Order: sequence, then C-alpha cells, then structure tokens
Amino acid sequence: MNLVVNNLSLNYGNYTALKNVKFEINSPRIYGLLGRNGAGKTSLLSILASFRKATSGSITINGESPFENADIMQQIAFLYNKDYKDETDNIKSILQDNERYRPNFDKEYANYLVNRFKLDQKKPVKKFSKGMQSALNVIIGLASRAPITIFDEVYLGMDAPSRDMFYKELLKDQQNHPRIIILSTHLVSEMDYLFDEVIMLDKGEIILYEDYDSLMTKGAKITGNAELVDEFVQAKQQIHAEQLGSTKAVMIFSELTDLDKGSARELGLEIGPITLHELFVYLTKEEN
Amino acid sequence: MKQNAIYLKVAVDMFTAQSLWVLGFLGVMIVVHIFRIVSSLFGDFEVDTYFNSVFISANIAMFVIGILCFYFLPHFVANGVTRKDYFKGATLAAIGLSVFLPIITIVFSVLSQFIINQIDGITINNPDINSVVQDIDTDGNIIGNIISSTVQSFIVPPYIDPNSNWLLAISIVSINIFIYYLIGWMISSGFYRLGTVPGLCFVFVGLIILIAKDSLLRITLDLPLVEQLKFLDILPKSIAAITVFLLIIMVIGITRLLTKQVTVKL
Repeated sequence: MNLVVNNLSLNYGNYTALKNVKFEINSPRIYGLLGRNGAGKTSLLSILASFRKATSGSITINGESPFENADIMQQIAFLYNKDYKDETDNIKSILQDNERYRPNFDKEYANYLVNRFKLDQKKPVKKFSKGMQSALNVIIGLASRAPITIFDEVYLGMDAPSRDMFYKELLKDQQNHPRIIILSTHLVSEMDYLFDEVIMLDKGEIILYEDYDSLMTKGAKITGNAELVDEFVQAKQQIHAEQLGSTKAVMIFSELTDLDKGSARELGLEIGPITLHELFVYLTKEEN
Repeated sequence: MKQNAIYLKVAVDMFTAQSLWVLGFLGVMIVVHIFRIVSSLFGDFEVDTYFNSVFISANIAMFVIGILCFYFLPHFVANGVTRKDYFKGATLAAIGLSVFLPIITIVFSVLSQFIINQIDGITINNPDINSVVQDIDTDGNIIGNIISSTVQSFIVPPYIDPNSNWLLAISIVSINIFIYYLIGWMISSGFYRLGTVPGLCFVFVGLIILIAKDSLLRITLDLPLVEQLKFLDILPKSIAAITVFLLIIMVIGITRLLTKQVTVKL
C-alpha cells in the first residue's frame, strides 16, 4: 500500500482545520499521529477514511483517490470513539456485519479477542460500559485486518490493563499480519514504544514526520552551568529551558555530532535523553 | 464484479432489517384488527378488512422507515461501503419492501376475511374510501388547502378495492408507500446534510410532492379529485401516470445528490 497526501486542506467556514498537509506512507508499519486537541487529527483521519472530502488537495492510495472507490474503501478501517448508545445489536451480529463487508476479516481472531477482553457476546452493545465499547472498536479494528487501519483515540474509557492488552495484541498481530496502522493518541508516554514512525500535527500543519528511533537520537537535554549551557546550545534548535539558580537545563531538537558530545563533556555538561512526550509537549507549546 | 456484490449485499441487509420493522408494524395491525373484530361483536357487527386497515396506516409506517433509511449510510461507510453502493442497495431494498408489504397484507387479509366469514353476524365493511375526499371541507385559503390535502393524502390515498382487481390494488399501494418511503429518506438526508432550516424546506417540498402524487394517481385511476384541485382533471391519464413516474425519479435524484458526497459525522 502506498498512501500519498498532497497539499491537503480542510476549511470549516472561516476556520482552517488542515493546511497544506503533505506526507507519504509506504511501509506497513505503526504510525503514531500526535497533536493537541483541535490540531486536526480527526479531520485528517476522516478524510483518509472517506468519511468526508477535503476542501482542496488530494489523497491517493496505490495511485487512486479513495473517496467513493469501492475497492479502496473496503481496505481502510477507521475506528474512533463511537457512541453506541442506540446500538441494540449484540457483539455477535456486529462482528457478523463486519465479516460481510471486510474482505480480510478473521472471525476466529475476533472471537479470541472477545474472550480476551471478556465481553458478553449476547448483551446489547448499548448496555456496555464505555471501556467495553472501546474494546469492541479495538476488536473490530484488529480483526478486520484492513491494509490501512486507523485507531483514533480508540482506547477512551478502557482501564490500564485493557489498554495494555490492546497494545500487546496490536504488536503481536502486526508482526503476523503487517499493515499500515495509524494510531492517533494523547497518551504519548504510554504508547510511544508502539510507534515505528511519528507524525506530529499542530494547528492543521505537519510539524514533524520521522522514524521513531532517529527522532529519539535528535532530542537531548543539556544540563549544567547556565552560561556554558547557553553557549553550547546557541546554534541548536531549543524547545524548552528550565533554570534553577546557576544550573540550567535546555532541551534541544538537533542532531548531536561526536564533536558536539566531546565538547559538552569538556565543558562539564550533562547530555540526557528526552522522551517523545516531552518532545510533543514542547514542540506544540503555545507561544505566550 | 466486486461492486455489484457489495450493493446487492447492502440491499439484502437493508431489506432484512427493514422487513422486520414492517412485520412488526403488520403484527401490531393484526392485534388492532383482532381487537376490532372482537369489539364489533358488541357493537355494530361491522368490521373493515385487514387490507383496508393497513392501507390507511402503511403510508406513515413507510414514511418513518424511509426517514430511518438514511441512518444506514454512516454504518455502511464505516464498514468501507461507498455511498453509491449504499444508495443503490437502499433503493432496491425500498422497492422490495414496497412490494413485500402489500403482498403480506393481502395474504393476511384473505385469511382474516375467511375467519370473519365463519363468525355469524359480522359483516365486512366496504366503505367507499375514495369519495371521502370530496366530503372534506376547506376554509378556502392556500395554507388551509395544503394542510387539508396533505392530511387527506396521509389518511386516504388513492384506493383500489382488492376484491375488484387485486393486482392493481397491490400495485397502487406499492407505488404509494414507495413514494412515502422516498420522501422520508429525502427529508432525513436533507436534514443531515444541510441542517435544520434547509431540512424544513425539504419537508415542504415533500408535502407538495405528496399532494401532486395523490392528485396525479387519482387522475390516472379515474378517481374523484379534491375539490380545490378539480382543475387538474383536464390532464390526460397517460400524462398523469408519466408525471408520477417522473416525480419518483426526481425524489430519487434529489436524495442521491444529497447523499453523494455527504460527510459522515463522528
């Protein structure tokens, strides 16, 4: 599967939800889509899943536009925090429905997951707790085995053990059946180990799209004497700074060469790692 | 090939779900019918046929099912079905339902007539439903006319007695309920796509289409027209029949335009 998003924009009246979004996905990996509330994550994902049309720009999947394209639409599963308050059907009939329309649906795997999440097969879904309804979305998403599977904050209401189960099953199934999985989330520190790639969206624009491992080598926290730290980070992209007395810690988002590391050591500065969570918080911070 | 399979699957699934609703409605009508048979034993010993009872209320039932029809769209799109496949499937399901309902009704009706005939003393009431329209008074203003014509077309659509020509009777009921379904579907699509105020305009358009359909069918079938629409009598039958057909195509076309690129709300 090859997914190309080109200059995609979406306006709601005067409000711009997405502005010239551009990226390409080629490998069956797990992509973490991070962004603050209102950054445009759900808007972007809805367009990918053909739930809505963009105002301008294009999306192509294997060279074709997915909107109203039957062959492509059935290859994309979009699971979101769906409201099941009127859903009188039980899990069994919902999964049967999915099996009818999803070409790669694995019924046995779905049943395995239903048992794993301990969901009542006969109870109407509207009587499920929020966490159980979210678990159902997870089951549909995983068992559909769609070549492009999108989970948009699908874990809402799930307790920590259930979320952990979701992450483990996701990794296990991804290993056996690799596909493009896009995970949109706010639980960055909890889910960062799942991501192969990270896409960061801020105010409707892509501000970062990078391989998780190389991203982690770029971010660093330089701690030491304030003046020396300032001198060291001068030419680097600084994303956050904290100072206590004469000690200063500056987070930078630039690759450090061996030379940089050597000079930091000479200056007596400490180089520490930063987490994806910190990177996310400071890269998307509002300017005062 | 694949696309064909998908819209046919949609049609089967929608027909299955909606025919359960129709059977529920017909079941309630059977209970009402039995109650009326029993109560007639203590009153005037007259009872309407089951066909006539259903004939009056089926329009509203189909209108409601038509309104609910739109809400299958988000479900299907979420399952990776195109709006086009949903639309084709839903239209086929509507046709199926419009044929299924009167056939089941007439079967139940024949059975109930057979049973009633076994009960001494009860006669089957055979009112002249079509002439009722001429007894409706209007106050002469346009709004009053529209309201009275609409209410009347809900209550007394053009009627053919199944005992005189059962095939024509079924066909007329089918056309009637099909149009009610389509209008319900168009209105809910309008509300979902464009919001409340434009949605209300679709209610108005729907009412006008209902009145037009009612009058045109009456002309086609040589049935009496409502007093204030008598002037339409000059239309030839064939033109009236074709216009009913064109109205159906128009409503289907409007609904397709409304749903063609509709945003599925989360």
